[in-house]
Amino acid sequence: MSSGCLFRSLLMLFLALLSANASNWLYLAKLSSVGSISDEETCEKLRGLIQRQVQICKRNVEVMDACQYQFRNRRWNCSTLDSMPVFGKVVTQGTREAAFVYALSAASVAYAVTRACSSGELEKCGCDRNVHGVSPQGFQWSGCSDNIAYGVAFSQSFVDARERGKGQSSSRALMNLHNNEAGRKAILNHMRIDCKCHGVSGSCEVKTCWKAMPPFRKVGNVIKEKFDGATEVEQRKVGTTRVLMPRNSQFKPHTDEDLVYLDPSPDFCEHDPRTPGMLGTVGRFCNKTSKAIDGCELMCCGRGFHTQEVEVVDRCSCKFHWCCYVKCKQCRKMVEMHTCR
Amino acid sequence: MAGAIIENMSTKKLVIVGIVLLLFQAFAFMVGGLIAPSPTTAVHYLATKCVDNQKGHLQGRKWFMPWGPNQCDKIRDFDEAMAKRIEANNIVFSVHIPLPNKEMSPWFQFMLVILQFDIAFKLYNQIEDKAMVTIDVSLAYRDDTVSEWTEMAHSLEQRKLSCNFTTAKIIENEGRYYECDLLPFMEVGTVSHKYYLVNIRLPVNERKKVNVGIGEIKDIRLVGIHQNGGFTKVWFAMKTFLTPSILIIMIWYWRRITMMTRPPVLLEKVIFALGISMTFINIPVEWFSIGFDWTWMLLFGDIRQGIFYAMLLSFWIIFCGEHLMDQTERNRFSMYWKQVGPIVFGSLCLFIFDMCERGVQLTNPFYSIWASDVGTELAMAFIIVAGICACLYFLFLCFMVFQVFRNISGKRTSLPAMTKARRLHYEGLIFRFKFLMLVTLACAAMTVIFFIISQVNEGHWHWGDYTVQINSAFFTGIYGMWNLYVFALMFLYAPSHKRYGDEQSSGDQGGNSGEDIQLTTTITHADGPTEVYRMMGKESQE
Repeated sequence: MSSGCLFRSLLMLFLALLSANASNWLYLAKLSSVGSISDEETCEKLRGLIQRQVQICKRNVEVMDACQYQFRNRRWNCSTLDSMPVFGKVVTQGTREAAFVYALSAASVAYAVTRACSSGELEKCGCDRNVHGVSPQGFQWSGCSDNIAYGVAFSQSFVDARERGKGQSSSRALMNLHNNEAGRKAILNHMRIDCKCHGVSGSCEVKTCWKAMPPFRKVGNVIKEKFDGATEVEQRKVGTTRVLMPRNSQFKPHTDEDLVYLDPSPDFCEHDPRTPGMLGTVGRFCNKTSKAIDGCELMCCGRGFHTQEVEVVDRCSCKFHWCCYVKCKQCRKMVEMHTCR
Repeated sequence: MAGAIIENMSTKKLVIVGIVLLLFQAFAFMVGGLIAPSPTTAVHYLATKCVDNQKGHLQGRKWFMPWGPNQCDKIRDFDEAMAKRIEANNIVFSVHIPLPNKEMSPWFQFMLVILQFDIAFKLYNQIEDKAMVTIDVSLAYRDDTVSEWTEMAHSLEQRKLSCNFTTAKIIENEGRYYECDLLPFMEVGTVSHKYYLVNIRLPVNERKKVNVGIGEIKDIRLVGIHQNGGFTKVWFAMKTFLTPSILIIMIWYWRRITMMTRPPVLLEKVIFALGISMTFINIPVEWFSIGFDWTWMLLFGDIRQGIFYAMLLSFWIIFCGEHLMDQTERNRFSMYWKQVGPIVFGSLCLFIFDMCERGVQLTNPFYSIWASDVGTELAMAFIIVAGICACLYFLFLCFMVFQVFRNISGKRTSLPAMTKARRLHYEGLIFRFKFLMLVTLACAAMTVIFFIISQVNEGHWHWGDYTVQINSAFFTGIYGMWNLYVFALMFLYAPSHKRYGDEQSSGDQGGNSGEDIQLTTTITHADGPTEVYRMMGKESQE
């Protein structure tokens, strides 16, 4: 009975989150008073959520972490602001960053639901008749389908619902739907296949294989790669249906797994008080030796940087247990830190 | 056995028999492909992290439930545990098999569980070389959702962690997971209870170096594999149908042999033994596993299969040997020790290995021979020896087949010059051999092809509205095929009542005496005082 309650409350949570103006974890991100979420207490601060919902919320914070991890070296570091609307132009416009955020968010819902299935927190999962690939005879006759099928179907019906509500015609809705699907494909196409032989004397006469979800970090990496190679598209009419086609007809058409975006991104260099989320790169740390986007040249947009010597207290010669126990000495060392002007 | 049914059968009848057998074969494939579901199911379980708040040891073990009523105090991750100052020794990983709202069933036949650790890379807390993880694991069952758990097994096990980190070991990559090999966890030979509960602890003891240097464990995942109930039912039905068919043909075959005036020859005995071993596999004793808690069923199944394979391999060797058509007198089992020896030795090795693995699992379901270094070496030794035996066997077999073919081509040239009786005898031998050779090769090729298809493919094909379960079709089809093989063998190679060459032989003379001697050496044992002997007698009388 309690699992039934949980399931319903989970649906409620998702519906509530989707009715908000941003995709769900962005809504959560709004609660943070700083530019980034670093602690999970944010979820505890949410009023009106029962314990389980807080847990789902925390999983979404993990997604936030994933976003911030992937963008740690870029000018836009997945920053959010307290004020409304949540992401300002960065995400309300159809930019590359928005594409990433939607893909990651759709993937995270599928991921979280699949995990909840495997730990028994959700009831129906692979045995849900509404999900394709389930035999009518039931668990005893032929088992259930993979939980990932359920997770993906869940993500499809709930994350995509808002876009479908708007109608298929808007190019932004098309872009979001495409990117949501690309996010889920990032999980589906990178499932690891494991096998176990259990025939006579353990021979491979009888072999059972199953698909295991990749770690979420890997999903993030895949989506980040797709972000780097995202295609700029525009809406065109083919027959009666509207589709997204690459703006530059020289480019080869994007696949299901690729991210697409409509508007070019701003350079994220300056702080813009009118567009929340545009924090600028002033005060960001940069790498003096790198020539890439994390290098001081590009990160600081040519404004130059400060260099100061800072004493860092680090943990060293630690003793760990596999869980919950760390005993360290404190080591001090001097480090050169570069921050953008 | 000069007068086997196959030689005396008209081509038309032979074709009819062939078609009937093929129909049965197609039926066997279809039963698996269309009716049965896939043979096994793998279910993912993510262990719930429970906190053991118990101070001291109360009487009896406390069981930690991951969900449902009376569920344990849970933590989401170990950062939370760190904040709450919970120690590693107080954390219990709990998995309930099956997932909510499901029940296990005796139709699942067996349950084996794989263990996987999710270990995050931390620059200063890496997995040490040759790290061993010690798990304190217990298994309990109950048959309804309210009663107490009953302990089934409890053990302290060691598993070798073989993990590798595919990217650079730098601070940037902290938090990425190691890629760890699957670890064998548990194997239960019957699923006679509805609910199972697994509680795992990873006790830390720094002084004894227990569970030190195993990295930062994030999660424990289990994968439970069991046979599908639907497949079991189809399989049982098939066995129940096949048992009487083979049994009846076996009795018919043996009656035919005993009706003859001579004692049975070696080849006939071997075919009969093959029938017995086939029946031994067929007898559906598994029906009892539905009602009784017989954990040795898995081991028993292995033994039965092993006996059949050994018998089949021996049969091939002896069949070739009896058709060699050289001057040596065989017809004794001891003549084949060189070829049968490797089979027996190899089977014995596999048997010992199986006893070490599945035999020990009867008492401790968590035991795995692969878990310890010595065990791994021992197991590898057994398997390698068995492999060498198999290679040796196939060398012998190939050499024998080559010899037979060489003799056949030698005989071919001298066939026209022979007397009719002798010619018919040799032609019969050649035909019998070639027929079996062809059928055997076809069966072996089918087995190999289907094996490869079932390994490569996803396991099911969509064909219009139908889903064809390739793996199930493989099992039922191949099983049916070898049954039909044994059936056909007993039917076609049973001694015939028809006699060839009786009338004509008297008119056809002229072979030299040397050939006569040769003829007698090859067939006296086979025919005893029947046809040819009598023919010879006639000749000498005339």
